[in-house]
Amino acid sequence: MATETADDVLSVHDLKSYFFSREGTLRAIDGLSFNLKAGKVLGIAGESGCGKSVTAQSILRILPRHGKTVSGQVLLTRDGKVTDLLALGEESSEIRRIRGKEIAMIFQEPMTSFSPVHTIGDQIIETIRLHRGLSKAQARASAIEILESVGMPHPSRTIDEYPFNLSGGMRQRAMIAMALSCNPRVLIADEPTTAVDVTIQAQVLELIRQMQAQLGMAVIMITHDLGVIAELADHVLIMYLGRGVEFGSVEQIFHNPKHPYTRGLLASIPKLQKGHTLVEPIKGAVPNPYDAPAGCPFHPRCPQFMQGTCEVTMPQVVEVEPGHWVACHLYGGEDQR
Amino acid sequence: MSDIDNSSRPLVEVRDLRKYFEATHGLLRKVVGTVKAVDGVSFSIQQGETLALVGESGCGKTTTGRCLIRAVDPSAGSIRYSFDNADPIDIATVDKHQLRELRRSIRLMFQDPYSSLNPRMTVFQIISEPLLINKLVQNQSEARDRVQSLLQMVHLNPNKMDRYPHAFSGGQRQRIAIARALAPKPRFLIADEPVSALDVSVQAQVLNLLKDLQHELRGLTYLFVAHNLSVVKYQSDRVAIMYVGKIVELTVTEELFLTPKHPYTEALISAAPDPEPRAVRRKKRIVLAGEVANPADPPSGCYFHPRCRYAKDVCRTTEPPLRDIGTAQQPHQVACHFAEELTLRGIE
Repeated sequence: MATETADDVLSVHDLKSYFFSREGTLRAIDGLSFNLKAGKVLGIAGESGCGKSVTAQSILRILPRHGKTVSGQVLLTRDGKVTDLLALGEESSEIRRIRGKEIAMIFQEPMTSFSPVHTIGDQIIETIRLHRGLSKAQARASAIEILESVGMPHPSRTIDEYPFNLSGGMRQRAMIAMALSCNPRVLIADEPTTAVDVTIQAQVLELIRQMQAQLGMAVIMITHDLGVIAELADHVLIMYLGRGVEFGSVEQIFHNPKHPYTRGLLASIPKLQKGHTLVEPIKGAVPNPYDAPAGCPFHPRCPQFMQGTCEVTMPQVVEVEPGHWVACHLYGGEDQR
Repeated sequence: MSDIDNSSRPLVEVRDLRKYFEATHGLLRKVVGTVKAVDGVSFSIQQGETLALVGESGCGKTTTGRCLIRAVDPSAGSIRYSFDNADPIDIATVDKHQLRELRRSIRLMFQDPYSSLNPRMTVFQIISEPLLINKLVQNQSEARDRVQSLLQMVHLNPNKMDRYPHAFSGGQRQRIAIARALAPKPRFLIADEPVSALDVSVQAQVLNLLKDLQHELRGLTYLFVAHNLSVVKYQSDRVAIMYVGKIVELTVTEELFLTPKHPYTEALISAAPDPEPRAVRRKKRIVLAGEVANPADPPSGCYFHPRCRYAKDVCRTTEPPLRDIGTAQQPHQVACHFAEELTLRGIE
């Protein structure tokens, strides 16, 4: 989805990542394409099992052992030089230089992504020394500076705390500090606020927004919460069962949604505006991904299901207006606008 | 909205409810402090009404709900419950025998339908268990008839009653949990975050079902414990906002969202991410500094003062009581020294 332009920092082409187990093959991502523009925020939204986290893992080559990226390209552009991350070995020194340095990631639950037996300072310093080659003292000074910039209270003291001594919000700040410590080009945030309370969520989102503006990095914000997307994203990719079903600017997606799934999602969430009193659920539930429906994966739940088409063929991706792409048979014919 | 009966006395009347937990330390479990999880909470719920208890984690909303069914024993206070229009009983002091009867009339439903349903029981066993325990059915065939009609009521196929929970999706499981909760024909349902574990596209299925059931079973009353303000606005008649064990604001839903009177409510409304790109970018978000106070060591004065942008000296020293600043028709309770003077921002 989306046309390639010169300012793409990351572009994903026809990515397929499968999981192999005794129950069969799970096509977690099945032909996904999108572009991330330098300095912009791309929101990836979808329900459980849509493959949004696997997308992040595939980009960084950190899929669990029974998962494998079987085809596609993930092109990272650095100063005019293009590298296909999928051509690098999972353990190669080149991908290690990219992880954390060029593409950093923050996770949903910082408690499980920090090592519990090292102080947060040690973990941030390790990252800085690995990628920036500073001395221990310089790295420590730099870590304190970063902790301060993410709003950590008393950074020269908290740097020596263990993760379990920090509250959820503070751990998330430490996680962000670690991710930003090497000034990455791309930050991938996988449900960064799902485990924290709403007032802390506001703090974390504000922080990501500030840091993004300040450092000019591109962000991939993965979340199930369309409110978070509306707030932060410039562009939005809606995923369903391993595929991108719609891509567009945040205004296009929220004010002129085309795919019946996107429309259904937007209609199914209660809103805070005055006078909003009706929500309309999508019928059924997300199917078992081991047993994905034939044709368009959304067809069993779709209110605009067309017999003889939707359950037979996979819809093509169509550009319905400039920069707005949809994979749906409703827009598939030649005489579409 | 639901059929609220305002004429008679409330179905539930909670007065000065407290639940203190002792914090212990070491092998000998020496008591080192008291966590005031619920600290003097009062509210009432009319028959047929939905009252939402809202707040961040650790504010005491779940503990309050659990006290109401005596899943935990309150430390102090009274919970007067009107059983079938008879004289109210005090749930806080009832004996074991009455408690069993009470739990037929008050039911609890949980957040996560993946862990609240026993995976080794069939749907029929899960739903019929409260019927059999309370001897509300005479035999198996009567039980099957009841389960069949309960499943129809929650829009599930009754032919699937001999299947196990794993065969159902999250939304369907939550409907099974509702059917079980409603099996003994309760009058009062405590729903603790009933949709937060569900995918967004199916949350609305459960919310709408709960609303429809309230309409169908006239007089069914809900205590809706939740943190998501959009869901609360959609679902409830009145809202109580809790902060560190206390209610800080309580009024009818629309009034609360349009004209909040407590700075914490204003901040919560402002912090809620709304799926509306233009609206959210227009408004300047209030980002509260710091974190929720520790209930084992709360601040002096108003518990909210360290995070409050309107705090003055009196807030640091004197705790504001919960008082009514509304009208006779529309009470509006708030615990803030400056509730009348502040002009706070609600939804637009």
